[in-house]
Amino acid sequence: MKIVASYSIKGGVGKTAASVNLAYASAKAGNETLLIDLDPQGASSFYFRLNSGKKEKKGYFFTKKNRLLKQIKGSNYKKLDILPANLSFRNVDIMLNSMGKSKTRLKELLFSLKNEYDLIILDCPPNLNLLSENVFNAVDMLLVPVIPTTLSERTYEQLLTFFAKNGYKKKIIRPFFSMAQSKNKLHHNTIKEMEQRHPEFLKSVVSLSVEIERMGLHREPVLAYASKKSPVKSYRTLFNEVVAIMAKK
Amino acid sequence: MKLSTSSDAYCLLPDSMTQKNFLDTLKSEFIIKQLDNVREKFSILENFEWTLYKERLLAIRHENHSISLWNEDSLLDTESAQHIDDLNATSRFWWDFPACAATEQLKPLLKLRSLEPIYEGVLKTEQINLQNNEGKILVFCQLISIYKPERPRTPIMRQIRISPVTGYTAEKDRAIELIKSLGGFEPSLTPLDSLLGSLGVTPRAYSVKPQITISPETPSRRAASQIISTMIDKQRLTEPGIIKDIDTEFLHHYRVAIRMVRAAIAQLKEVFPAQDVVSLKQRFGDLARETNLLRDLDVFIMDKQRYMDLLPESMRNDLTPMFDDFQKNRQTEAKRISQWINSKAYKDEINDLESLFSPGYSAMETQWSEKPSIELSIRKIQKTYKKIYKAAIKITHETPDTDIHKIRIDCKKLRYLLYFFGSQFNKKKIKIVSKHLKSLQDTLGIFNDLTVQGDFLKNYLYQLEHKTEKDVMLIAALGGLISILYIMQKQERQKSIIELAVFSNNANRLLFKDTFIHSPKQKENA
Repeated sequence: MKIVASYSIKGGVGKTAASVNLAYASAKAGNETLLIDLDPQGASSFYFRLNSGKKEKKGYFFTKKNRLLKQIKGSNYKKLDILPANLSFRNVDIMLNSMGKSKTRLKELLFSLKNEYDLIILDCPPNLNLLSENVFNAVDMLLVPVIPTTLSERTYEQLLTFFAKNGYKKKIIRPFFSMAQSKNKLHHNTIKEMEQRHPEFLKSVVSLSVEIERMGLHREPVLAYASKKSPVKSYRTLFNEVVAIMAKK
Repeated sequence: MKLSTSSDAYCLLPDSMTQKNFLDTLKSEFIIKQLDNVREKFSILENFEWTLYKERLLAIRHENHSISLWNEDSLLDTESAQHIDDLNATSRFWWDFPACAATEQLKPLLKLRSLEPIYEGVLKTEQINLQNNEGKILVFCQLISIYKPERPRTPIMRQIRISPVTGYTAEKDRAIELIKSLGGFEPSLTPLDSLLGSLGVTPRAYSVKPQITISPETPSRRAASQIISTMIDKQRLTEPGIIKDIDTEFLHHYRVAIRMVRAAIAQLKEVFPAQDVVSLKQRFGDLARETNLLRDLDVFIMDKQRYMDLLPESMRNDLTPMFDDFQKNRQTEAKRISQWINSKAYKDEINDLESLFSPGYSAMETQWSEKPSIELSIRKIQKTYKKIYKAAIKITHETPDTDIHKIRIDCKKLRYLLYFFGSQFNKKKIKIVSKHLKSLQDTLGIFNDLTVQGDFLKNYLYQLEHKTEKDVMLIAALGGLISILYIMQKQERQKSIIELAVFSNNANRLLFKDTFIHSPKQKENA
């Protein structure tokens, strides 16, 4: 079992679109896949036509495996399950703080699912807190969507600094360009410069696309309804790239 | 859907339930989304020995000749099928199929057998999903209908598979309740048996091995008749396959069955009048000899690659003209055998032989004909073992090959006796004895095959007219092959001597003494 998180400190960079479509691509490729919607806003859950899970008592997520399993729902696609967002995730940080081993709780919990799934994808909220650190400890790859703008570049470098200061393995971080506009000169230059400075960038680039934005109307992964459009196809390329890298490990 | 607590449920729909009825009932509680409606001609594929069925697999051929393969737990589910594509109508053997996972799975099941259609019909697959107002699927349903080609409107079977979605067990249970309220019912058989059963297809329980139970008290002649009759039945089952030349295993099994009949006649000759034994041996022998050439050619052609690989690479292609010859001869010979088995003369002969043993051979009583068969079987098995034992302990490096071949023949006789009468003795001990015997026979068998193959090639060589350079090269290649076979044969001889020493050691001798006895304990096993 491998675990990948779609993560960024910044919001609105295409994390959820990436999670949803990677999860779909993974299931289509025959992997038993679980998408965990860690974002209390529940966008991933919404795209899969699921309501947020029942509000549970504080701390349920990290303590009772069986209750967690009961919350998992099948999606409309075979081999793809979703753990819907839960409003109680809002307080996860406070709750984790009050527990021992608080930075590896998530890792332990996900490890208990290792016989059930081939791939677990975490759609993370835009934060840098204790939950994020639990994610850093749990995943094989931290997939970071980066919009090719100066501001996003700064946020990305903040993450690298945080990793260096706190002793996390930098090699798990794999950024990719998201919502890129090929006709935008600034985007174009930023991509070139960042690729030079950060060879860890994946080759796949997901462009800004109307089709992708329409996911909210369709309430389906864009790969499921417009898989032949080229900005959409880049999610499949991205998935293949992710798989290839993890296979090398 | 890894975590679903319950697996797929199946319901058969009664003839009285109309499609409208069915959908309306489900619509009362769910939003129905109908997708993928596929209707096509199809055939179910199986081989003569039903080895796919025994592995709980189903294979079907589609209109475009491609093949789909399913495990029983996902029968006819489009998404979980394994496919073999790029096939034409004549692809029947695993070696005709492109390399893929499904071919790999079929290879050990089919071996030399051909995949043949056993049922032809029209298959309609409908995906009907049950959803909520949000468009979230709660239950996956797949409706499978099978029609006879001549009655395209009336399904002869309709089955719905209800697959739960993780987290929506209650909805699945409700859907099943609704279907049952319309008369739908869960099949009492497993999905594969239920499917075949509703199509009227009955799996064939066939094995070339005798699988006979003979009670110890059965009079010897009746026991012999039962054995022979069983084997003639098996021989006759293979006839249609030989006539159609479906695969080479039909002829092989035909010959194995006759060999066992002949062994039974020869081994149990005391139960028949002496003059009858002579004529029966002759008549069954004639049937077997008729097919010798075709079997030899089959074996050679099957092993083509192995022979090629024995030679240095530069000489391998020089063998091609010989195999082309074999192939041509095989065509002619297969046609001749097909006509022969289909002929009135053959049918009269085999019908006559068959009627002699069923219900029981009737002739004058002999000294042995009415004695309990257990007495006969013990006597025969002990005697044959003693014969092998005595010959084996005399074997030295100077013993002529022919003597080793004789032992091989006696081993075969012993093996057949164990097949025939095994049911009369301790099951566990018989298993051990058979294992020892098999190991010895395998080695002796290879030794014999190498001798026979060498002789066959020599005969072929004598017939060659060596005029062209191609012929000369073929002759050289044959020379090489014959030498290699000779070296291999010598090695096998060495192994045979070792195996024989093991087989005739004291432990084995005691095992035989201990196994083939008439004791009340046998009844516990019976």
